Formats: sequence, C-alpha cells, structure tokens
Amino acid sequence: MLNVKEMLDELNASPYEEIEIRTPHTGVVDFVGLAPGDRVAGPSGKWLERPGTLLANLTREKNKKSICATQKGQVMDIQTALEGRFVEAGERLMTIRHFLSKEEVIGRILKKALHLFCAPERAKYYFVPEIDAKIKAGGEQSVKVREGLDMFIVSRMKRETALSYTGPQGIIYAVYFQQGDNVDGGQPLIGVCPENQLTLIQDVVNRVHGEWEERD
Amino acid sequence: MSRHTLLIANRGEIAMRILRACIALGHDFACVYTSADEQSGHVRLARDLGGPGRLFRISSYQDPSEMLAVADAANATAVHPGYGFFAEDYRFARRVVERKRPLIFIGPSWAVVRDLGDKINTKRIARAHLVPTIPGSDRPIYDEMEAVELAQTIFAFQHDQGIDEGCVLVKASAGGGGMGIEEVYDADTFRSVYRRIRNYAKRNLSDEGVLIEQRIFDFNHLEVQVLAERGGKNAVHLGTRNCSVQSLGRQKRIEVAPGFDPASLDYAFDAAGVLSAITRHSVHMALAVGYDNVGTWEWIVTPRGEPFLMEVNTRIQVENGVSGITARIRGRADCEQGVDVIAEQIRLGLGEPLGYAQQDISLAGVGIEYRILAEDPADRFTPCLGRIEAFGWKPEPWLQVFTQVPPLEHGQEPYEIPMDFDPNLALGIVWGENLDQARSRGVEFLNGLTLEGTDTRGEPLRTNVAFLLSRTQTILHF
Repeated sequence: MLNVKEMLDELNASPYEEIEIRTPHTGVVDFVGLAPGDRVAGPSGKWLERPGTLLANLTREKNKKSICATQKGQVMDIQTALEGRFVEAGERLMTIRHFLSKEEVIGRILKKALHLFCAPERAKYYFVPEIDAKIKAGGEQSVKVREGLDMFIVSRMKRETALSYTGPQGIIYAVYFQQGDNVDGGQPLIGVCPENQLTLIQDVVNRVHGEWEERD
Repeated sequence: MSRHTLLIANRGEIAMRILRACIALGHDFACVYTSADEQSGHVRLARDLGGPGRLFRISSYQDPSEMLAVADAANATAVHPGYGFFAEDYRFARRVVERKRPLIFIGPSWAVVRDLGDKINTKRIARAHLVPTIPGSDRPIYDEMEAVELAQTIFAFQHDQGIDEGCVLVKASAGGGGMGIEEVYDADTFRSVYRRIRNYAKRNLSDEGVLIEQRIFDFNHLEVQVLAERGGKNAVHLGTRNCSVQSLGRQKRIEVAPGFDPASLDYAFDAAGVLSAITRHSVHMALAVGYDNVGTWEWIVTPRGEPFLMEVNTRIQVENGVSGITARIRGRADCEQGVDVIAEQIRLGLGEPLGYAQQDISLAGVGIEYRILAEDPADRFTPCLGRIEAFGWKPEPWLQVFTQVPPLEHGQEPYEIPMDFDPNLALGIVWGENLDQARSRGVEFLNGLTLEGTDTRGEPLRTNVAFLLSRTQTILHF
C-alpha cells in the first residue's frame, strides 16, 4: 500500500534538486551578468513558449545559442573563469537549486504507484508509429495498453527491433523517456495505471495539491 | 607540400589511421570525441601524439556545426570525414568548402558526392556510360501502388527466367552500409516490407525514396578501389576485393584482395576476365564523372560471371587496407610493403597529383581482412554489449591490426563497448604470397587472438571470431 504521508515527509526533508547547467555543444561562452544567489525563472506561458531566464550565451559558427533556465530556482555557483573562452561540449557552467513543484512531487510519488514498464537494456527507444500518432493526437493518457502490444522500437548499435509491452492492462499515465535518447537498462519507459486504480491515483494528486507547499 | 592541419571528423580505428597518416605525411591534426568514447584508443593516441589543443570533446559526431567550430578553434585547414557520419554527405562537403573560412574536404568534390551518393542516380549515370546495372527501378519510388506493381513485374520476370523462388530487394534509396535493405520472397508480403523500409528511410535518412530491384541469388560481392586526383582527369585502380562473407544484416565480415583467384581456384566463368572488366568499367566511369578522390565501385557478380554495378561509395572504406596491402607502386619506397590508401587519399585531397599511372601499380599476393566484432553469429549476429577485459595478438610482419580498443592486459581497466556505434572491435589484415599462405596466416592470427570480456549480464562476451575462422577456408570459392 502506498504511504503518501511518509513519502511527502521524505521529500519535505530535502525539497529541492540541484541542476547542473552544462554546455550542450562546443562554443564561446558569454555569461550575462548573473551572480550566485540570483533567482531565475523557468519557461512559462500556456505552451511554455516563453523561455526561462537567460543564463549564458554559447556562440558557435556565428550562431548564438541562448542557454536558458529550464526550471525556476536559485543560482548556487557560476564558472566565471570560462567567460569568453571556447569550451567543449558538456562543460559545467553553473549550478541551480530548484525547489520541487507540486507536479514534480506528484510525478515522483506516481513513479512508485504506477506499473513501470522498464527498458530491458541500454538503447534508444521510440514508440511505434501508431502509438506515437495517438499520443501526439490525444496525449499519453489516451493510449490503452495490454500484454503483448507492440509498443516500442528499440534501436541499439544501429539495429532496430520491436519490443512488446508486458504488464497489467491500463492507460499510459506517464512517459519517462525522450524518443531517440539513450535509456539505460532498468530505467522506466512508461508508467501504466490499471483502470481500476485511477481513483487511487487521483487521490494522490489531490493530496499533494492540498499538502505540498511550493517554495521559490 | 605545405603543412596542413586536418580535423579528423570521426572516431575509433579510422580516426587512428587518419591521425597516423597525417603524421607520416608531416601534417598536424585535431581530433574529436564524445563522452561515449572517453576510453577509445583514438582519444589516447591524440592525447599522446597531439598534446593540448588537439583534442576536443563534442556533443555528437553528427553535428556539422560542432565539427566546423572545432575546425576553427584548432585552426584546421582541412577536414577528413573518415567513413560513415559526414563521409558521403554532400551538404557537409559543400559547407566545408564554401564557408567564409573555407576548408579542404578530404574526399571527392561535393557535386560528385551528390551525384553518386544516390544509388538510383548512380544507376542512371552508369547506364548512360554503358556500365551494366541490376534490373529494377532507376528512380526512387515514393508511391506504394507503383512499388507494388514494379515488384509484381520483377517477380513475373524471374518466373519467366525459370527461377522458382523469385526475390525482390527493397532498399532505402539514400541508405548504405547494408542498412535499410530487406528481401521479399512473395508479392503478398511485399507491401509490409515496403512500408517498413520507407519508415526506416524517413526516420533515419529523411528521404522516403525506395529502390526496388531484382535480388540476384548466390552472387559474389566485389569492389574496385579507385584513386583519382583533383580535377578528375587522372584515375587508377588498386585492384579488386571480394566482400562476399557477410552477416545476416549484409554487413561485411571478411574482405579479400583480389576479388577472385583464378590461379588457384576453378570458376565456372572467366574470372580473370570479370576482374578485368569491372576494373575497366570502374575507372572509365570515374573519369567520365570527373571523380576526384578515393572511392569504391561496388559490383555483384552472378554465378554465370555477369557483373552488375551496385553502387559507388564516395569515401574511404573500412576495407581499404586489404587493397593497400596487396598493391605496390613502382618507384615509391614507401609503397614496397603496400600502399597506405588513407595517406594517398589525404595527398590527393590536398591537391597533389597522383604521380603514377596504372602501369606503375602492381598487385602482389593475397590479403584478407577480418572484421572482429562483439556479436553473436548464432543469434542473427545480434550485437553484444559489455566490456573487453583482455585483448592482444602476436605481432607478425605479415599482419596489420587496427583497433580503437586500447591495449589491455589482465588487471587493467576494461574497455566498455559504446552502445551508440557498431560493435566493431578490430580489423585484422593478413598478407600471404598466395591464397593458401594468406589463409593459413589468417587462421594463425585468429587462433592466437586473446579476446576476453563479459557482457552486460555478466556472461562471457560473444564475438564472431569462430565464425571468421569457419569461413576462412572457403573464401573466394564461387
């Protein structure tokens, strides 16, 4: 049985995560005047069309790429020594402390409540075109899954194979991977909610909305 | 010759070979790597030989802006694409040479890459120059109904030829390297295969075009290694290769030079005549299209000795070394033990003349190249992920081994096979004065190989060494 109170207490003890901002590719770094302690905002707008606070610019091949905050939070440290330098991909630029939102807390609790269908091995995963189209048209919760359903294309070392779903019948409640990204074996791909447990899941959502206090 | 700095826009063993060729020619280099390749031999070699500022971590080997940004940061004057990635990407080749700070693309000029990069266009060009090609479509098919009708026509054609079990090949038009190809044995299943290949092509190649042609049974896959200088006025060949030992996925596993050996084996057709014809056709077509770097003309030869051009690979190939080890160039002291095709490619790419003619090239002995992979031949050649714990071989004057797996002794940190790429571990190339000697040296090399590791489930790593051994005795038989 899911102990929501215990999980909320656990999350309350450490209600944030530290996000390392790294360069997505090579380029020349230009910090934009942020300092440790500054507050930054994540993307906003109905469609998240407004990017988060500008953290730095990375210029490569005359193209300036803005590196924006993906979550709201507080700047903890900045690698100012990199200012104006050509850096490699994956270089750490700064750390942001991000306090968990209600939706993130719900996501973490649901990961323990849903049936997780995990990647059997490290590979790139894609939904088969039919399921991908359904998700794009009606959202992930519009897709019902059942044992044996061909759901994924597994791409590994340039070979592609099909992967069928195993587990209880239900709807996809959460998708935990980005198509085309490497997923380690054992990492969840989707969280499935059996239809008779939808009420329980809704209870979790309601409790978190009522009890979790968001911080800036 | 002026000193250049080459950006090596590739990884693994080919990056190492390019790097060594740069040094041998007196050029400087810059190398790139991704986080998946931290342990790769090419990173170690670049660190050891290049020092600071010669090695750059990038986000992806497939990001052109990343490559060109590194080229500028390293003050590179040329880009060597190796094979795969950008090697046959004419847009990249064009961008390299047409930017504000132009660089030299070590490969054919972009227009040649564009014209021959498409199998179907190649087929049209070949037909225009009276080079024989495989029966089938000579333009990309985008319409499902048209594809079905064409497949039915080819099945009927095979039936008329007396072939009981006809077969049609469905290929992604823009694909290569054995990827995106499937066989269809009856008209009923054609439609589903066509859709699968079309989806593959759309997702991986951004072009849904599909080529449909007759599958020719029991063929041998031969290649001609061509070298041509800038300007496209002068071209030679370094003989032929036979690449008929392949995995189920049509990936080459053993390559042999020359393509046939009529001196020691019997063929039901004039094998020497076939080799002569395909080299003649290849060089003729190279000159006709103004080909201007190294390239490979790929042929299939039927059991009746009919050669059909399949495609042209406008790049250096994995198996270039097996042609190099059997070729000699008169008057070139550095070519007494074979030709470094990559060094020749760099020379030609930088605009040097060939400096020799076809009659200066002689072909000596037999070369065999083994591709050693972490894969399970018993399970449809499924790639095997894991770690290499011991890897070594006995050096011999007749042996060349190219590998990105760093030298490992027991007790050293194992090498993790990266998941993002083919599970190639090494290329082993042996040379013999004749086929018998080459085969026995091949067996000696494979039997003496130390290759141990564990897969991700903790079981012994599976490799294709036993498969390579089992196929050695029958190579070049047809």
